Amino acid sequence: MHIDLNSCFATVEQQARPMLRGRPVAIMNRRTEHTMIVTCSYEAKAMGVKLGMRFRDAKKLCPELIGLESDPAKYRFVYHKLMDIMNDYSAHVRMKSIDEGVIDFSETTEVLQGRDIVDIGHEIKRRLKEEVGCAMRCNVGIAPNRFLAKTAASLHKPDGLDVLTSHNLRETFAGIELTDITGIAGRMERRLNAVGIYTPLQFLDADPVTLRKMVFKSICGDEWHQRLRGWEVDKRDFPMRTAGRQYVLEKFNLTHAEILQRLHHLAESVGYKIRSQGKQARGVAVHARSRSTGYWHARHMASMPFFSNQAIYAQAAQLFANAPSDVKEIGVTCYELSDNKDPQLSLFGDELARERHITSAIDEINARYGGRTIHSANTLGTDMYVKQKIPFGSTRYL
Amino acid sequence: MNDETFMNERIDVVATFGVGLNPCTPVRFRRPSGRVIEITEIGLRHPTEQGKRMLHMFDVTDGGADYRLEFDSERLTWRLTMEGDHVEN
Repeated sequence: MHIDLNSCFATVEQQARPMLRGRPVAIMNRRTEHTMIVTCSYEAKAMGVKLGMRFRDAKKLCPELIGLESDPAKYRFVYHKLMDIMNDYSAHVRMKSIDEGVIDFSETTEVLQGRDIVDIGHEIKRRLKEEVGCAMRCNVGIAPNRFLAKTAASLHKPDGLDVLTSHNLRETFAGIELTDITGIAGRMERRLNAVGIYTPLQFLDADPVTLRKMVFKSICGDEWHQRLRGWEVDKRDFPMRTAGRQYVLEKFNLTHAEILQRLHHLAESVGYKIRSQGKQARGVAVHARSRSTGYWHARHMASMPFFSNQAIYAQAAQLFANAPSDVKEIGVTCYELSDNKDPQLSLFGDELARERHITSAIDEINARYGGRTIHSANTLGTDMYVKQKIPFGSTRYL
Repeated sequence: MNDETFMNERIDVVATFGVGLNPCTPVRFRRPSGRVIEITEIGLRHPTEQGKRMLHMFDVTDGGADYRLEFDSERLTWRLTMEGDHVEN
């Protein structure tokens, strides 16, 4: 069963602020005319407002559009409430992102005790309204595998509940486009078109050899063949390979020193992220987007793993010395992550142990008294600009 | 844009504490100016941790404007931190 909160952030805002209900609302990461819209309410969507549109352009389509700055704490709360509700029905719950999750009922027949799974779907929708608020809506999709459940959940938005089985699969596929299928966007659509697949039904009927050898040119072709037929191929976890953070500068005329301050803030944030997952890194990558020369990046792999904010920033700052001017966006990423266990004895053992103790003491103080209670003096004052925004994708840090 | 005003006012609050999914329900509050606001609906209550300190955010309305009240569960204090009245610019 796939559960998807409808226009999650906009709906949560409408729940929190009753005066916004029934009005077109757009959520942005910063309240400026040039910021792109992260999500919008169904009232705004009905007026033609789309995600990724600049607020200024959206306002032309919908003059009454209300712009709000995102409030991640609220969305995290609703995420945890939804997860609590889902956990009541199965021990096999996997949250896919901040606004959607999957309940795997394949191993919980005893828990179901003969209940109809559609009834459970309706109950979850009802509980969401009771336990979070009356404006909350979600789509529920029920199917033999994760992929088809997600497809079912996207059929009737908002507030739908659909069941996709072998009996109505062809009928459902006949009513949607190729790009309505999760994982098929413009480029993949062109690849399918190149072998004469123009509709989901043709995709369903395609033989696995064509998909493997001509379309996907890998085992992914076989996976798609199985996925479309209801076999489970997506039940797997991906290990954490990288951790990063990026920031669009609040002004485009900052000095190099001011940009480095913000880079330092990002490095501290990334350092905390990897340590919170019990990891250490060997590589640091920095990127910048310049208004004149476009995208730039540099990376460095160290011989020894590191974990402290200072180590990450020292390498990031060194790499950033070659960054272009006229920067509008910066980012720091750590890669080659490994478990932060006691390393092999080193010639510099004392220094490493000292660094480890200081870092863990700082993390403990920050956990007790609030994030960034102790931070580098260089990043003093950057908090008002570099704010934590919505963590899309991974739910590790929620 | 939506007209939100952010503030940090200490307020007097009348609240009920009961059982159920939402045990704490603010009913009305008085701002430093003396104005009393009757709460007609609680939109959302969500907790936010500031280190080990727990703040409970109540997004409420009086039917004319939306407000955010913050209850500090350690100091047992209430603050009004936001007022939104949706006046279009």
